[in-house]
Amino acid sequence: MTNLPRLLFISALLMMIAGCASVTRQPAEQSPAPGDMSQESGENILAEPEPRPAISENRAIVALLDKARHDTEAGKREAAGASLERALRIEPRNPWLWHELAQLRLSQGQYERAIAFAHKSNSFASRESSLQALNWQLIGKARVAQGNPSGAEQAYKRAEELQQ
Amino acid sequence: MAILLLMLGLSGFIYYLDITIRDAFDGRKFAIPARVYGRALEVYSGVKLTPAQFLEELQSIGYHENPEPNEAATYRHTLSGFEFTTRDFVFWDGMQAAQRVRIEFSDDRVSLLQDRGNGDRDLPLLRTEPPIIGGIYPGHNEDRALLKLDQVPKLLIDALISIEDRKYYSHWGIDPRGIARALYKTVSGQRIEGGSTLTQQLVKNFFLTSERTLTRKATEVLMALLLEMHYDKDEILETYLNEIFLGQDASRAIHGFGLASHFYFDRPLDRLELHEIATLVGMVKGPAVYDPRKKPELTLKRRNIVLQEMVRLGAITQAQFVSARQMPLGVVRRAPTGTSPYPAFLQLVHRQLQRDYREEDLRSEGLRIFTTLDPRTQHYAEQALAQRLAQIEKSRKIPANTLEGAVVVSSTEQGEILALVGGREARYAGYNRAIDAQRQIGSLAKPVVFLTALENPDRFTLLTPLDDSPLVWRERGAADWKPQNYDHKFHGNVPLHTALAHSYNVSTARLGIELGVDRILDKLPKFGIERRPPPFASSLLGAFELSPIEVTQLYQTFADGGFRTPLRAIREIVTAGGKPLQRYPLNVEPVASPAPVYLLTAALQGVVREGTAQALVNWLPAELAVAGKTGTTDDLRDSWFAGYTGNRVAVVWVGRDDNKPSGLTGASGAMTVWGEMMKNIQPEPLHPVVPENVELVNVDPATGLRYEEECQTAMLMPFIKDTAPKETSDCASASGSSQKDAEPKTVNTETMPAIKKETEKKSWLRRLFE
Repeated sequence: MTNLPRLLFISALLMMIAGCASVTRQPAEQSPAPGDMSQESGENILAEPEPRPAISENRAIVALLDKARHDTEAGKREAAGASLERALRIEPRNPWLWHELAQLRLSQGQYERAIAFAHKSNSFASRESSLQALNWQLIGKARVAQGNPSGAEQAYKRAEELQQ
Repeated sequence: MAILLLMLGLSGFIYYLDITIRDAFDGRKFAIPARVYGRALEVYSGVKLTPAQFLEELQSIGYHENPEPNEAATYRHTLSGFEFTTRDFVFWDGMQAAQRVRIEFSDDRVSLLQDRGNGDRDLPLLRTEPPIIGGIYPGHNEDRALLKLDQVPKLLIDALISIEDRKYYSHWGIDPRGIARALYKTVSGQRIEGGSTLTQQLVKNFFLTSERTLTRKATEVLMALLLEMHYDKDEILETYLNEIFLGQDASRAIHGFGLASHFYFDRPLDRLELHEIATLVGMVKGPAVYDPRKKPELTLKRRNIVLQEMVRLGAITQAQFVSARQMPLGVVRRAPTGTSPYPAFLQLVHRQLQRDYREEDLRSEGLRIFTTLDPRTQHYAEQALAQRLAQIEKSRKIPANTLEGAVVVSSTEQGEILALVGGREARYAGYNRAIDAQRQIGSLAKPVVFLTALENPDRFTLLTPLDDSPLVWRERGAADWKPQNYDHKFHGNVPLHTALAHSYNVSTARLGIELGVDRILDKLPKFGIERRPPPFASSLLGAFELSPIEVTQLYQTFADGGFRTPLRAIREIVTAGGKPLQRYPLNVEPVASPAPVYLLTAALQGVVREGTAQALVNWLPAELAVAGKTGTTDDLRDSWFAGYTGNRVAVVWVGRDDNKPSGLTGASGAMTVWGEMMKNIQPEPLHPVVPENVELVNVDPATGLRYEEECQTAMLMPFIKDTAPKETSDCASASGSSQKDAEPKTVNTETMPAIKKETEKKSWLRRLFE
């Protein structure tokens, strides 16, 4: 039991790394030309990530996130989606879970959905500006991939403002 | 030559018979209907769940009590919970192996969840197997609940073999002595009869005909022999058990023991007791003659003959025999129509599937369909509708069984349909009002008008006065329109939130016309309403028809802070072999800005707190802060209530199928069903997140001015930034009818909402947002 906080912290950190990796990779694959430029600014923002707070106190949620992560690594993205939805049924207003779902959709190239989930995450994240920043970065990436560089620029700007 | 020809012809005939019988056999054997599951219960430490609810869940998925609960699907009670063992189960995301589990409860929550053995380590999460809620069955009005041989109780097989075909496992498909006897009787001029083995009975059942001729009999014998050549005994027996005709329900033929068990005892086969099994086996001889509903005495006699044979052959003990023989038949009086206890929900699932799959695949490929139905929510919804309608009829002296109704309940953030009731007799398939009844929605349309107004924060706040004086509206293509209020009065100037709380028609119509009828109706597709209402101003007051499920979709967006989440009944589909086939993932789409939706929700909470739905407090505590809207149509034909809590959206319609006046308003009919249902569901209170551009300001409800928090009548009201009143009034003004010249305009105090002067300083809204 004493390991729990550490475990939570490590899993949160791992997830962040995994999240960043998928976030930065995908748009470049989909749309390399406009992606390269804006991607840099995205990475700059991400250069010094703060450690995330534990996504949830509920061990059921932590277990489901673990499962989702394993499934994602194994290339079973829809199974990962199913686990995230299970977690959301338990904690429907947890902004981090919505953010995870946004990341997953982004990694699948489902940009419109990724953007919608990021907005949804923000609607529950009024007190967490760092998460809001992550969501806006994600929206920026998705817009880049959609071929909407000006929209992406706006999103990155929002993210930057929130980081300050 | 002739002999050769004859032999050639005979072998050709036999070849033909062979093909025919194998076709029939394979067709039946491999046509596995789609199986439909309800939601799987997620159990974890801290989840709200009582021991009784958990026990009910275990029993609904066929767990048996056992002092040593180490076999799959067994449980035992412990001091503060249960020990049990789950089954292996293939979910969409893979196989979940059986687990030995210990669960404990305290204060109606799960306090401990452990893996027994394995060092008794804590389990973070347990997903129990989902309950089967129905199937989609092969055609020709033949309904069946297919069973594998190992799912059939051994007692049943023993009983069947004892009474129908003792040598089943040793013969070749026919019983030569039986045939000889039958032949002798036929030749000697008696009736053609009997001598049928189980195999022959199965053949006969494939080509159901009452014809009794020698050629028919010969064909049957040949086919039985052929069948035994191609298939083994267990395969034939399994098909027999699923195929044999066991009764008729109007146009529906009841085939197989699995379905017969539901049809006569309303329980799955593995939950039948000896005497019930014997009854079913006895009926094989002639389901029309031994019909336990129509001819109970004859059926009872037949049942006891089966028991007698079983004890004689040692299949049961003398003690079992004696106790079973004393039991009554125990058949349920009225048969459920179909194998699903939730025909309305299943119909919705079926329709959704038909969009994506061929009907024949649904009926034969053995697909496993995982749905969103929550049996507990469904139970409360059915119960509330049935009970309230009966009570309303009785107390209002309405002729019994003239009122009908429908209920839809969904989860706010997921849009999952948790319960769907298509009528007051929820167990019986029929007209599905929840998805098929198109009824005028009346005032349920008003929130769309108010949301459109609130999306213009520089013009409208919750306090903006609206004109509720007489209105005549002329437009091309429609007669002059003179909307009336329900109380047939006009209310002068009323604040916007009050107009909604009391559902004033005239001020709403004027507001909608000012905003633009088209502009408002154009919004509906964004909220998931695809059909367009007539382009007249009367549509603003809901003079157009929607089904209860469409209304649920509309309110979902309000409940979900402006995100539209398409309603779903299906989560996943898996093939018979356990391969994931399709998922219907969660989707959301932002379709309305959060701030105006937040204001709308506050106003809809006002409807319940002080408006037309005030009486909901008789069912639900004020702390739940329900947002809702009543709907009543002309001549009291339709009674609606649509509302939401922190985690549930629900819509109830009550009215008459013949569209005659029901005599009920939204508040006296549908709302009472809603309250009764939610009281049992115990949803979460509604505390929407305050959007960033919304501020909460204390105002004096009488003057619409800012107020010090200390003022007793101060009311915390949400405003989009920079739209709150700027001037402050003194507390004293609350007592008089203060008239200040400041903007926003003062309003007639007579029409003010009846805000209760609370002794405590905190207003309802303040409490809500803290």
